[in-house]
Amino acid sequence: MLQGQLMNETTMKQPGIFRRNPPIAGEAEAIQAAQAGDETAFAKLYTLHKRRVYTLCLRMLGNVSEAEDMTQEAFLHLFRKIGSFRGESAFSTWLHRLTVNLVLMHLRKKGLQLVSLEETINPSDEDTPKRDFGSKDVRLTGSVDRVTLERAVAELPPGYRLVFVLHDVEGYEHNEIATMLECSTGNSKSQLHKARLKLRDMLRNPETLGEGAAR
Amino acid sequence: MSDPKNVKVLTCVEFQEQLPQMFVTEGEIDEQPELRGHLVTCTNCSSLVRDLEYIAEQARMLLQPTHDPSPDVWSNIQSKLGNDGKSN
Repeated sequence: MLQGQLMNETTMKQPGIFRRNPPIAGEAEAIQAAQAGDETAFAKLYTLHKRRVYTLCLRMLGNVSEAEDMTQEAFLHLFRKIGSFRGESAFSTWLHRLTVNLVLMHLRKKGLQLVSLEETINPSDEDTPKRDFGSKDVRLTGSVDRVTLERAVAELPPGYRLVFVLHDVEGYEHNEIATMLECSTGNSKSQLHKARLKLRDMLRNPETLGEGAAR
Repeated sequence: MSDPKNVKVLTCVEFQEQLPQMFVTEGEIDEQPELRGHLVTCTNCSSLVRDLEYIAEQARMLLQPTHDPSPDVWSNIQSKLGNDGKSN
């Protein structure tokens, strides 16, 4: 636990490195041992990665209970599949992608047809962000803290939230998102833009935001 | 450099219709004279672009994982792994 916390503090100071490929001390040895069936090593991998996996699930799903279930599924899946990890990408990137795929599969099982985001998980008219052709000039710059943004993201409609989290938070490219969600890159760009517009609306009126998934 | 006389003057509607395709690479708006021209003259759209860029920038704050799963998650994983081991 302590090592995981220390690594988080270290990597938080290096966002560029941490973004997709965080170096974690002792991870390579733990992977090797876990691949050989060492449960203590697997527990160490859980300690090192639980936060990132859970936070990703929580942001994608916007629901604590489902996020915990998917975190559990992700690590059980990891335990079964860790032998197939060959080190061709960073372990965290591999685990991250595995988690994203599981969450998307879960959402499809729930009935969200991700094939056509526009038609299936677009929000209702009242959720659609309005274009801005002359509203009051309330500047956001410098006014948004992490907790407020977290709450606003949690209140985004599911389709907007997915693309926003994958692109703006997690750093996936539009072509990667399009492949994952089985939609066009134009669709991904459109969803992202609508998500940002919706966030802008919400962040201009932060008093209307609920607790959301932020804790 | 484009001749400023040949640059089409965009309306807010036209400008905002093109916004979803922007922000793919940094400085993309600056490279397009029509878009840049509109931004220079329209405080409303420049405010919108500034806010959207700010939101995208602030989103990086959320990359740092801040939430821990409850201890039940690990207990459940251990339990399931134990059951799988017994059934094998």
